[in-house]
Amino acid sequence: MFDFSIISSWLHGLLTGFMPEWAAILTESILVALVIITLYAIFAIVLIYMERKVCAFFQCRLGPMRVGPFGTLQVFSDVFKMLTKEIINLRGTDLFLHNLAPFLVVMASMITFACLPWNVGAQIIDFNVGIFFFLAVSSIGVVGILLAGWSSNNKYSLIGAMRSGAQIISYELSIGMTMLTMICLTGTMSFSEICQQQYAEGWNIFRGHLPAVIAFILYLIAGNAECNRGPFDLPESESELTAGYHTEYSGMHFGYYYLAEYMNLFICAGMATTVFLGGWAPLHIAGLEGFNGIMDYIPGAVWFIGKTLFVVFLLMWLRWTFPRLRIDQILSLEWKYLVPISMANLILMAIIVSNGLHF
Amino acid sequence: MYEDKNYIEGLLSGIKSLCIGLKTTMREFFTKKITEQYPENRGKLVMFDRFRGSLTMPHNENNEHKCVGCGLCEMACPNGTIKVTSEFYTAEDGKKKKRLVKYEYNLGSCMFCQLCTRACPHGAIEFNQSFENAVFDRSKLILVLNHEGSKVMEKKVVKKAEPEAKSKEQTA
Amino acid sequence: MTDIQDQTPAAGAQNQPQAAANAGKPAAPAAAAVKPAAKAQPEAPAQPAENQIEPRFVEPSALHAEMKRLRDEEKMDFLECLTGLDWQEEGLGVVYNLESTATGRRAYLKTATTDRENPLLPSVSDLWDIANIYEREVYDFYGIKFTGHPDMRRIYLREDWVGYPFRKDDDPLKENPLRMTNEPLADVTETLTLNADGTVTRGENRIFGDGDYVVNIGPQHPSTHGVLHFRVSLDGERIRKIDPVLGYIHRGIEKMNESLTYPQTLALTDRLDYLGAMQNRHALCMCIEKAMGLEVSDRVQVIRTIMDELQRIDSHILYFSCLCQDLGATTAFLYGFRDREKILDIFEETCGGRLILNYNTIGGVMADIHPNFQKRVKEFIPYMRKNLQEYHDIFTGNVIFQNRSKGVGVLTKEQCISFGCTGGTGRAAGWHNDVRKRMPYAAYDKVKFNEITRTEGDSFARYMVRMDEILESLNIIEQLIDNIPEGPFQAKTKPIIKVPAGTYYSAVEGSRGEFGVFLESKGDKSPYRLHYRATGLPLVAAMDTACRNSLIADLITIGGTLDYVVPDIDR
Repeated sequence: MFDFSIISSWLHGLLTGFMPEWAAILTESILVALVIITLYAIFAIVLIYMERKVCAFFQCRLGPMRVGPFGTLQVFSDVFKMLTKEIINLRGTDLFLHNLAPFLVVMASMITFACLPWNVGAQIIDFNVGIFFFLAVSSIGVVGILLAGWSSNNKYSLIGAMRSGAQIISYELSIGMTMLTMICLTGTMSFSEICQQQYAEGWNIFRGHLPAVIAFILYLIAGNAECNRGPFDLPESESELTAGYHTEYSGMHFGYYYLAEYMNLFICAGMATTVFLGGWAPLHIAGLEGFNGIMDYIPGAVWFIGKTLFVVFLLMWLRWTFPRLRIDQILSLEWKYLVPISMANLILMAIIVSNGLHF
Repeated sequence: MYEDKNYIEGLLSGIKSLCIGLKTTMREFFTKKITEQYPENRGKLVMFDRFRGSLTMPHNENNEHKCVGCGLCEMACPNGTIKVTSEFYTAEDGKKKKRLVKYEYNLGSCMFCQLCTRACPHGAIEFNQSFENAVFDRSKLILVLNHEGSKVMEKKVVKKAEPEAKSKEQTA
Repeated sequence: MTDIQDQTPAAGAQNQPQAAANAGKPAAPAAAAVKPAAKAQPEAPAQPAENQIEPRFVEPSALHAEMKRLRDEEKMDFLECLTGLDWQEEGLGVVYNLESTATGRRAYLKTATTDRENPLLPSVSDLWDIANIYEREVYDFYGIKFTGHPDMRRIYLREDWVGYPFRKDDDPLKENPLRMTNEPLADVTETLTLNADGTVTRGENRIFGDGDYVVNIGPQHPSTHGVLHFRVSLDGERIRKIDPVLGYIHRGIEKMNESLTYPQTLALTDRLDYLGAMQNRHALCMCIEKAMGLEVSDRVQVIRTIMDELQRIDSHILYFSCLCQDLGATTAFLYGFRDREKILDIFEETCGGRLILNYNTIGGVMADIHPNFQKRVKEFIPYMRKNLQEYHDIFTGNVIFQNRSKGVGVLTKEQCISFGCTGGTGRAAGWHNDVRKRMPYAAYDKVKFNEITRTEGDSFARYMVRMDEILESLNIIEQLIDNIPEGPFQAKTKPIIKVPAGTYYSAVEGSRGEFGVFLESKGDKSPYRLHYRATGLPLVAAMDTACRNSLIADLITIGGTLDYVVPDIDR
C-alpha cells in the first residue's frame, strides 16, 4: 500500500531545511487546515448532489437535470446563491449567540472530520484515545443546535432544539456502546492502529462476526439519529416545525447548518467505515493472494471514500423509505431497544474476545 | 414472560415491516423514471383536444369568422371577461344589421367555465390548447380575438342563425 | 301530519320503482313535501320536487326545548346542516336539517327573528357540538347572536369587519376598505346568556390565558394542507387546546352565488373542495335538476357516478400522499402523485381540466365521454390495484406509521355524530353515514358496493377506511364502465334556467363526507340563498377534541387523517 507519510515527511524535511522547526510546523498546520476546509466543502457538495439524485431515483424522478450535464453544477450554483444571500438579524434574537451557534456546529463537524483516516499515514488527528476524542468533540454540535433554538426567539426553533437535545444526548449512549463493543475487539482506540489491524487481520465486521454486525446496524441507526437525518429528523421536521432549530437562519448561516448536516452524515459513514469496514484497508479474501495483490494496488483513499459513500447510500436509503418517528418513539427506541441490545451485544463481544472466538 | 415475548415479537415484526419498505423503495430505484423533461419534450408534447387553454375565434383563410356580435357570450360570462363591441350598419339591401367591431377577451380573469362557448349560437369561439400563457405584463393578457380587417363568414349561415340568437337575447 | 318527514333511502332515490309508482299519485299536500315526486315534469309544477323541504317554523323562545326534545326523544342526533337566511320582512333566521342516525328519519325546522338591530336566537351548541362553529358562521354573515353560545365571534371575516355581508341590505364595500393592518385575534370573546326574564347577560370567554404557551400552526405551514391556522396551546410537546382560525381564503362564494345565474354558480363549485370538484358540482346540478323536475338520462347518471368515483380515488390517493408527506415519508408521497397523474389524465381527456374539471351541467354533462375514456379507465383499474399494494408495503405496514397512528386522535362514534364528521372519519368510528347508501342518487342504487366501516375511530382506522374505499370505488367503476347506457349526454333546458320557489336540499357523498347543497329559491334566475354543507368544517371543528393531550406530531397525523381541504371550509 502507498504510504502517505512519505509525502508528509518529505514536506516536513523540505520546510525544516530553510526555516526553524516551529515555523515549519506552523506552515504545515496552515496547509493542513486549508486542505481540510477544501475537502470539507468538496465532500459536502458531492454529498448534496448524491442525496438529491439518490432521493430522486427512489422517488421515480430524475432529480436535478438542468444545471450542467445531469445537473452536476446544480449544487455549485446553490452554494453560490447561498453565499450571496443576506444574513438577516431578527429583532428579539440574542444576536451574539444567534451568530455563534452555526459556527459551533460547523466547528464540531470539522474537528471530527479531521479524525478520519484517509489513507495509510494520511490522518490529521491521530492519538491513542482517538475514538474517545471523536465522541467527545462530536457532542459540541448539540450545543450549537440548542443555542440556535434558544437564541432565535422562535417557538418552533425552541421546540426543535429541545427535541434535538433530548435525541442527540440519548443516542450518544448507543454510539458509545457500539464503539465500546468494537474497542473490545480491537483493543485500541487509535484510528490508525484500528485500520492497520484490519489491514493485517481483516475487516472488523468479519472478524467480530455476529456482535460486530449487530453493532454495525446499531451504529448506523444511532449515527443516523445523531446526524438529525430522517427518519430521525425531528429537530427540523419540516411538516411539524417548518424547519426546527434553524427556522430563523438565512444565507450562509443556514448554509453552515446545511453543510454540517451533510458532513455529519459523511463523518458518521466514515467512522462506520473506519471501525467496521476496515477504513482504508482493501478487501482481502484469505487464500486468494492474486486477488489481494490487485486489491492492494487500489489506493487506500479510494477504498476509504468508496466504502464511506456506500454507507452514505445505505443511510440515504433508510431516510427516503421511512416516515418520521415521534419524539416518544425516538426515546423509547433508544432506551427500550438500542441501549439494552447494545449492552447485551457488548457482553457477547466480551465473551467472544475473551474466548478467542473471533477470526 | 408474556411481555418478553411481545417485546421480541414486536421487534421482529417491526424489522420485517421496515425491510418490506426498503425492498419496495429499492425496486423503485431501478424502475423507469416518470419525470417529463419540459421544455425539451415540447416537440412531442400534445395536449388533449378538450383542454381549455385560451379562448380563440377561428378565422378561415379569407380572414372571416363566424361571430355576429350578438353579445350572448358576454352575458353568459360570470366574470366580465369578454367585451363585445358591435355596431349597426346598413347593408346593401337597405336593412340595418349588426356587425362585430372588436372582441376583447381578458385571459387573466377567465376561469374557463365554457359558458361562453356554450352560449354562442354560431360556434364562433372555442378554446385552443395553448398552455404557455405567461406574460410579463398584465395588460398583455387582454386579447383581441377578431383579426384586423376580418368580417363575418358567408351570409347564409348568419341569416339562418340570427333569429335564434335574437330570440335568445330577448328572453335574456 | 307530523313534522318529521319520512325519507328513507329507498323512497328518496331517483329512478326507483317505488318512486316511479308514486309519480302517478295525486300531488301530496305541501306539508309533506318531501314525499317523493320523482320524474316530476316541468309542465307539472304543482307537484313538489323530490328534494324540496318545508321547514317547520318554531318560535325562538320554544326552539331550544323543541330541539332538545327532538334530539333526546326522536333521537335526531345528527345536525346535518345549519343555514342562516335573511328573509327580509320575515326576519333573519336559521334553518336546521336534522337526521336520526338510528332510523334515518329527517326533520327540518326553522326559526327567525324580526329584530334586525339586535337579533337574538337561542343557541343549540349545547346539544350538538358542531352547532358551535355553524352558529359562529351565521353570526359572521347575518349578525344573529346566539344566546348560550360559548364563543360568539366571527369565523371567516376579519374581527374588525363592519357589517354582516349576507344581509340583503348590507353593503360590504362601504365601510370595509382594504385594511393594511394585521388582523387582531382576540383572546377574550363574548358570550350571551338569556335569563328567565328575557334579559341578556354578557359574559366573557377566555380562549387563551396568560400562562398558555401558544404556538401558531399555520396559516403558512407545510401540513395544514392550505391556508389554515391553528392556535395551539402547548404544555411541553403536549397539546392543551386548539383554536382554529378560519377564513384566510374565504372568497364569499355563497354570497357571489346570489348574484349569479344558475349556470354561472356551477363554475364556482369546482373551487370549493378541489379534490371533490366532480362531486360538488354533481350535488349542485342534482339539486337544481330535482328542484326543476328536470329528468337526466341514464347515460349521464352513469357517467356522473363513474366520474364521482374516479374523483374519490383521486382524492384518496392525494390523501395518502399528503399523509405520507406529513409523516416524513416523502418517497411514498411521490408514489401517490405518480398514480394520481393517471386519473388526472383521464379527467383531462374528457373534461379538459385536471383540477377545475367543469364537467357537470344542469341536465347533463359538458361533453360526452371521450372515445378513449373507457379504455383508459380499464387500464387504470388493474394498475391501481397493483400500486395500492405498493402503498401498503411502503407505508401502511411500516411499524413507525402504525405506532404513530394507532390509538392516536380517537373520535368515538358519538363524537363523530355530534360533530357531524361524515365521510371516512365517521365511518372509521363505525357510523354508517354514506350518502350513497343513505339517500342513493345517480346510479348508486344499481351497483353493488360495501360501505367500509371500522370501529376504532383512530387515525389508523381513518387511514384504512380511505385505502379500502379506493378498492370499493374501483369495484364500482368496474361494474359500470362497460355498461354505460346509450342516451343523450345533455337534457334539453330552457335558455334561462329558473328554479321554482321553494327550499331544497340535496347531498352527495363527497370525497371526505356529505357534501350538501341548500338552495332557497324565489323563482328567479339566481338563487336567493345557496348554502353548501362543507365537508371539512366539521372535521376542523373536531380537531380540538381529537388532539387534546396528544403530541405536536400527533396533531399533524390527526390533521392528515381527518383530511380537510381548506377552500371547502372557508368557501
